[in-house]
Amino acid sequence: MKMSKKVAASVLAAAMALSMTGAASAEETISLTLWGAEEDQALLAELVEGFKEAYPDQSFDIQIGVESESTAKDTVLTDIEAAADVYAFASDQIYDLVKAGALAKLDDYGEALQGVAGKTLDDVKAANDAGSVEAASVDGSLYAFPMAGDNGFFLYYDSSVLSEEDVASWDSLLAAAEAAGKQVGMTLASGWYNASFFYGAGFTTGLNEDGTTAIDWNGTSADGYTGVQVVQSMLNIAGNPAFMAVADGDISNQLASGALCAVVSGTWDAVTAQEVYGDGYAATKLPTYTLGEEQVQQGSVAGYKFVGVNAYADNFGWAVMLADYLTNEASQQARFDQREIGPTNLTVVESDSVKANTAIAALAEQSPYGVVQLVGGKYWDPAATMGELIAQGKLSVDDEAGIQEALDTLVEGVTAPIE
Amino acid sequence: MANENKGGAAAAVGGFFRAIGGFFSDFGTAVVKGDAFTRLSLVWMGAGYAKRKQYIKALLMTLLEAGIILFTVFFAMQYVPKFGSLGTVEPEQVFNMQTMKNEWNDYDNSFQILLFSLFSFVVWFAAFVVWVKNVIHAYHLQKKEEEGGHINTFREDLHSLIEEKFHITLLTLPVLGVVIFTMIPILLLIFVAFTNYDQNHMPPTSLFTWTGWTNFISLFGGGGLTSTFGYAFVRILGWTLVWAFFATFTTYIGGILLSLLLNSRKTRLPKLWRTLFIITIAVPQFVSLLLVRNFFSNGGIVNTICANIGLTGFLRDIGLVSTSYIPFLSAPGWAHVMIILINIWIGVPYQMLIATGVLMNLPSDQLESARVDGASPFQVFKSITMPYLLFVTGPALVTDFVKNINNFNVIYLLTQDVYVTTNQAMANSQAKEVDLLVTWLFRLTQEYYNYKMASAIGIIVFIICAVFTLIAFNRMIKGDREGTYQ
Repeated sequence: MKMSKKVAASVLAAAMALSMTGAASAEETISLTLWGAEEDQALLAELVEGFKEAYPDQSFDIQIGVESESTAKDTVLTDIEAAADVYAFASDQIYDLVKAGALAKLDDYGEALQGVAGKTLDDVKAANDAGSVEAASVDGSLYAFPMAGDNGFFLYYDSSVLSEEDVASWDSLLAAAEAAGKQVGMTLASGWYNASFFYGAGFTTGLNEDGTTAIDWNGTSADGYTGVQVVQSMLNIAGNPAFMAVADGDISNQLASGALCAVVSGTWDAVTAQEVYGDGYAATKLPTYTLGEEQVQQGSVAGYKFVGVNAYADNFGWAVMLADYLTNEASQQARFDQREIGPTNLTVVESDSVKANTAIAALAEQSPYGVVQLVGGKYWDPAATMGELIAQGKLSVDDEAGIQEALDTLVEGVTAPIE
Repeated sequence: MANENKGGAAAAVGGFFRAIGGFFSDFGTAVVKGDAFTRLSLVWMGAGYAKRKQYIKALLMTLLEAGIILFTVFFAMQYVPKFGSLGTVEPEQVFNMQTMKNEWNDYDNSFQILLFSLFSFVVWFAAFVVWVKNVIHAYHLQKKEEEGGHINTFREDLHSLIEEKFHITLLTLPVLGVVIFTMIPILLLIFVAFTNYDQNHMPPTSLFTWTGWTNFISLFGGGGLTSTFGYAFVRILGWTLVWAFFATFTTYIGGILLSLLLNSRKTRLPKLWRTLFIITIAVPQFVSLLLVRNFFSNGGIVNTICANIGLTGFLRDIGLVSTSYIPFLSAPGWAHVMIILINIWIGVPYQMLIATGVLMNLPSDQLESARVDGASPFQVFKSITMPYLLFVTGPALVTDFVKNINNFNVIYLLTQDVYVTTNQAMANSQAKEVDLLVTWLFRLTQEYYNYKMASAIGIIVFIICAVFTLIAFNRMIKGDREGTYQ
């Protein structure tokens, strides 16, 4: 039955292909649906108009819906066939989306792109930042178009309180903050933020074939540090009275309250930081931290935003064209101009206006230490709990066996099979 | 009394099976004793009616039969044959440059197969009942004709639907609604609990299939899952029951005391106070709860105040708090107590309204005679008011308890994004100490796409609620409680 069905399907496909040759597809109105963030709606409407003008021979009916990049995965996976043809999402969702078959493997459609838009997938890859292309690829195949490169974190600080030397390392940063009677804020109870210490020390996370997470934090890293040492360093920082462990999602509030002279956050807090610090507003890469006897640069998670194409889109080819258009150089420039969203397109990244943006420049400074975070769904809760244990000081710096046990439990939870 | 209940339940069950037996014996009689047309009704559902000149009914039954056959051939047969495997063909597509579209093979969608098969089963079951009833009815008509009785015309049949058979007319829509919106989803939930529908098996791209009892075995610690799933389940179940108990009784007692206070003659401006309390109902819970959550968060206003007046420092000195803030909603124990306290604030006004209504109907003769006998206010409360309240609001108390087992709002809104567990064993199963079964279930489905385990947990929650409700209602309402009170 399986065989006969396949044969029938391919015969049907062949018949359709035959009947379509010569029939001008331009006569048909192409309906597409597009999901983007609430704040991007006006911009998207503008870009969609530009897309229609770029292909004047084809008539389009493009509906734009609201769906935040951070929740796109949840909505799409609820009913993939009913989800939008083209949608924006945050880079950490790509594995779940690919696994569920909600994203099309773009490698297979390079031909279409070349035929209609006149560029190859390699052009797309070359035009964008290498890290973003890597993050948009799974097993070496591109699954989405890089749209924005500012989904990472770095350090905001008040330059009227802290000097450039102060913000170079956590030790000097915390000492200077304490002297000024202020605090330094960072979220520890989140696997997105707290992994930065581990990545900095050369630890890794990864995804296995079956969707489980690989993690080596309970062992020794490539740089020769142990996970216990990293936790000890984190405990030393968290135990400093000038350090404030901020709950996940509460950074903006704490920043606005004025108690923090420096904070680890991302571009989404740029406006708040600017308001709070006024003329002292400054941003830079993350500080180094003391690991054992040495100073180690704190890593970070390189996060991106992508535009993906639903594998089940009706007008699949045109959906690819739209996704490509929404992420091309002109669109990324428009996105930066109107929304101050950091680009991934190298030409736009190099433009003077982007370089002059304090937050995006700091992000660029941090990007050499950024890691594309490869983790599965089982990572987040155990990692958040690990951070909370450190934040609350439930682990003791001297109790190496206890720390090792906590790390072993963490690894056990993160690597658990997906049931 | 317990025996009596058991007897009643046994009688109810026996009656149910007797009814089914009667149904089939009627059918047997009809087939054996029926004439040619009654028996022809087995194949052509309109036959019996056509013979007795009920042509419109015959036509309607024929149409119904044709409809069911068409439904079976063109709809059910697409899905039901695959019900055993839940599909075998995974999707594959070929891109067509000419149309700029993907062309797909005729792939299977396990979820659709499951849902539509289930729907077909329900339709077939209904069709079977109608078919049997139809034969019985044809036999009744035959007998009526033999006895020379009056056979209804179609108009008379229609008329009977608004006269002696009015209950059928009234109940048709609600029954349909219950079947479509309640029964089918519940059956679907039960079926999913026996499959491997999860993140690795998500339609339409992947297929899922039957796995028997494995989900229940792993839920109760039978291995297969993370080693801590059973551990987390037991703890969450425990907190769910503790929460339901305290949430129900604190608001119940609080509501009664508050309404007594407001009803007391010594209270000034009772209407003003009542209005103030009702305002907490008027504000949507997600607004008030999220606000309260922010007030009590680690960096919230309450913590700032506590730190400024030195309370935080004092608590740290006596060892109650180890952090630089009071973990109102972020540490076990603290959060548990806070959630129950905040729930009192949310829940008491409702109970106050109910209690006020009941208190207004207190039998005044009893109060009067108690006063004449010189009973103290406390004695009146203990011996008259409270028993009366319990008697009237007992059933509501039971439903409140069940509602609190599934009280998603309060727990989720107060702890989501604020509470991070420091218990690694819980975290490894995506659970928190403050989770109710229902919030855990929500997170499992919403964030981890673990539909099969969520269904298994859902069934357990359902069983707990059902058993509790049955026992409680049997004890509270059955028997001669009314007599006892009088």
